[in-house]
Amino acid sequence: MLMPGRVWFLIVMLAGGFAAVGYAIYGGRLPPADFTFVNETEVASIDPALITGQPEGRIVNALFEGLTRLRAEDTKAEPGTAEKWEISPDGRVYTFHLRKDARWSNGDPVTAHDFAYSIRRLIDPLTFSRYSYQAWYIENAKRYNLGSSTLQPGDAVEIELNPPAGATNTVRGEVLYGKLIRIDGPAIKEKANDEKETARERVFVVQIDGQEHRFQAADETQPVANGVERCRQVLLDFRQVGVRVIDDRTLEIRLTNPTPYFLELLGFYPFAPVHRGCVEKFGKPAWTLPQNIITNGAYRLVARRIRDRVRLRRNENYWDHDHVRLNVIDALSVDNRTTALNLYLTGMVDWVTVPPAEVLREFLKTKPPRNDLNPAPQLTTYFFLLNTTRPPLNDKRVRQALALALDREEITRVATGAGEIPALSLVPPSMPNYTQQPCRPFNPDAARKLLAEAGFPDGRGFPKLEILYNTDQAHQAIAELVRKQWQRELGITASLRNEEWGSFQDSQQQLNYLVARRAWVGDYLDPNTYLDMYVTNGENNNTGFSNRQYDKLIADAAKEPDQTKRRQLLESAERMLMDEMPIIPVYYYVSRNMVRPRVRGFFNNLQDTHPLHALWLDPNVDDRSPRPNEYMEPVK
Amino acid sequence: MSWFIARRCLGLVLTLWCVFTVSFLLMRAVPGGPYSGERKLPPEIEENIKHRYKLDLPIYRQYLIELGNVAHGDFGLSMRLLDFNVNQVIGQGLPISAALGIFALSYALVLGLSAGIVSALYRGSWADWLLMSLATVGIAVPSFVIAGLAILLFVFAIPVFPAAGWGTLRQLVLPAMCLGTLYAAEIARITRTGMLDALSQDFVRTARAKGLSHLAVALRHALPSAMLPVVSFLGPAVAGILTGSVVIERIFAIPGLGWHFVQAALQRDYTLAMGLVLLYTLLLYVMNFLVDLSYGILDPRVELK
Repeated sequence: MLMPGRVWFLIVMLAGGFAAVGYAIYGGRLPPADFTFVNETEVASIDPALITGQPEGRIVNALFEGLTRLRAEDTKAEPGTAEKWEISPDGRVYTFHLRKDARWSNGDPVTAHDFAYSIRRLIDPLTFSRYSYQAWYIENAKRYNLGSSTLQPGDAVEIELNPPAGATNTVRGEVLYGKLIRIDGPAIKEKANDEKETARERVFVVQIDGQEHRFQAADETQPVANGVERCRQVLLDFRQVGVRVIDDRTLEIRLTNPTPYFLELLGFYPFAPVHRGCVEKFGKPAWTLPQNIITNGAYRLVARRIRDRVRLRRNENYWDHDHVRLNVIDALSVDNRTTALNLYLTGMVDWVTVPPAEVLREFLKTKPPRNDLNPAPQLTTYFFLLNTTRPPLNDKRVRQALALALDREEITRVATGAGEIPALSLVPPSMPNYTQQPCRPFNPDAARKLLAEAGFPDGRGFPKLEILYNTDQAHQAIAELVRKQWQRELGITASLRNEEWGSFQDSQQQLNYLVARRAWVGDYLDPNTYLDMYVTNGENNNTGFSNRQYDKLIADAAKEPDQTKRRQLLESAERMLMDEMPIIPVYYYVSRNMVRPRVRGFFNNLQDTHPLHALWLDPNVDDRSPRPNEYMEPVK
Repeated sequence: MSWFIARRCLGLVLTLWCVFTVSFLLMRAVPGGPYSGERKLPPEIEENIKHRYKLDLPIYRQYLIELGNVAHGDFGLSMRLLDFNVNQVIGQGLPISAALGIFALSYALVLGLSAGIVSALYRGSWADWLLMSLATVGIAVPSFVIAGLAILLFVFAIPVFPAAGWGTLRQLVLPAMCLGTLYAAEIARITRTGMLDALSQDFVRTARAKGLSHLAVALRHALPSAMLPVVSFLGPAVAGILTGSVVIERIFAIPGLGWHFVQAALQRDYTLAMGLVLLYTLLLYVMNFLVDLSYGILDPRVELK
């Protein structure tokens, strides 16, 4: 035979190759799930404190349950792990009573201590939570969360020492309590003036049991001055924060201001409890692995394959497990919207969250209308930010002119697909118990007049504008259209600039733009989620807009216990915003789910939130069913 | 031979170090960072995050620390897939990309080699013309177009294959074919050229003169030396195909490594991007090394020093 050695080598290689293929395909094969849906992109984490996105929220809401849970119908709070609660007459103190039968997936009872632990963990500056500000409504939580920069002499403080060597990264060091006497800067000041003093250089002089100690945040290997003790961080004493365990089943939460949407907030995933034993035993991020994690929600985690799927199984220890009807759920991560739609159209998934806009436009035209598509208004607004710190946009008249020259009807007709609604206000009209305050509609004559008053008749001498958006076809189409409209109506030129997400965020926050796109999904059913963004130096402001009166209106509204007065304050705030125009609203989103007729318990709601525990499958219904499920019912 | 291997190993270490250095500097030169998000972080929390990821240290110290970790095979936690470390991400994705790649490559080899041989043997015939035109089309048409057509044809028009996903052999067929087509076309063209070249050589004439059959001459004598250019093409191709294809993996929702390459760079996932770049470098280097070794086996004229 010719070259026997080489032939054998070839055969061995081939056999090895195919064995590897077989292993890769069949190695971890899972039996099919009862219900499969496309959960958009790969989830960043399943740690409730670390996540911010909707795909993550769907999984975490199934795995964990907070004190309240959000009703599938309308996302109003209903009893979750807490079976009942009392609210003090001034609306500031909530007392929660936990269920006797609330259990973790390993059988441990869920106690008030678990919630206190989890809330402290959420606002610990070392947790790096992006949603920790949701807890700032709790008394002193903001000061605790913002770390040592908020401390004043005289404050009760806690000093977390460096954890012992070998401890997992989720175990806290020993905590000492004392009174802050003063804060010293760095011992030797030799820094250039432009360099900021950082928190890690401060020395905290603290009185503990009558004795004075000096602490500095420093690793054990880092040198410190003589007489200074190393610690991990110095924070406000957590006992000053409005979270108190009364007994194993009673938790008291004190708020700074009466907050009408606080119960809904508690059903939001950052407030989900985590199992302390599990977190501390395995450390971060190993505690989230399927073999380690302990959860208290309707589902437990079975498997997690990166960029493939998250598999959930019904949790028989869940207090309400009798009403959880789907046994096994697969949440697929599919980045490409067309692929997601293909999976749906070929019957491989039961629910797809965002089909591509161009297909949607066609599907909405079909006759008879489809029985699995029912776009409904959502609590999300698309708008443009104007950088109010740079000329010519620092002139209110210019901002108003740009807004007046915007033909929103044309944008929703040409550039978007699912029947989005042109927007004249920041707060969407679907917001309950609120009257939105519109800005002036499309009016090119008025726009030209204002621009002329500002010194740019017919756009003469107007500097070139630049519209910034994050790289995406849909945003590009809108920006292109806006550019044309401004050119046509005002005679001004604009160019487009796209940046990918990371740089785009930086450019916005550093005000390194003139006009930029943005969208905001309401975190809770209250206009405040939109309006408090534009207070001076707000973390989400990004426009440089600053107005004392506006700040005062928002602050007053937060303190106002009377609902009607509070609403009026917020309405006048929006009126002011729509006059000053640091932002230009463009359109309100509509939900775009496609859901099979056999899926029941799926409701259109304002926040586009569809808890998995409420879903079930109707065995008597197929895809051609003429009978509408809850999703297809007209939206109230 | 052993001197050759030792030199290559040294070269590998140097290459990895250079790639590491350049990637490290490039990643820190672009705006944005692993902690950038929609909402501005409070300054002290941002400081904590920077401290945690050692981004508050001078750049040369960051460099030295990370170089030390990477040298020990510790790439750290992914900065955007927060629940996993880089080794876990690669450990889950690589076998899948590799499985798809092996399938695609086998398909490409069988198809490309046969087409190339037939073309060369029947040079100038209609078969040659047809096969080479197909190969040109295969190279020119981007893989997302091929994938789109394949899905229209085999998923919707004649529903024989699933639309996307991973877990069964049937789900592998379409993506492997779409991925393999480009390689098949390249291989066909290279094989044809190589074969034509070999067929005109003296040793082939000698073999013919000995009275061997047409087929035996082509397969036994001409093919091994015609394989040389194919093998040098396969080296980098294997490295590329094993680390996954961005387009095919995205269209068919295959959880391989391809999409991570793009996402890690876009989302400033410094650690994952570094792990992937070094993995790719390693594979590319090893494959080129194997190519050189195989030259020594396939071509008696080559001696490795």
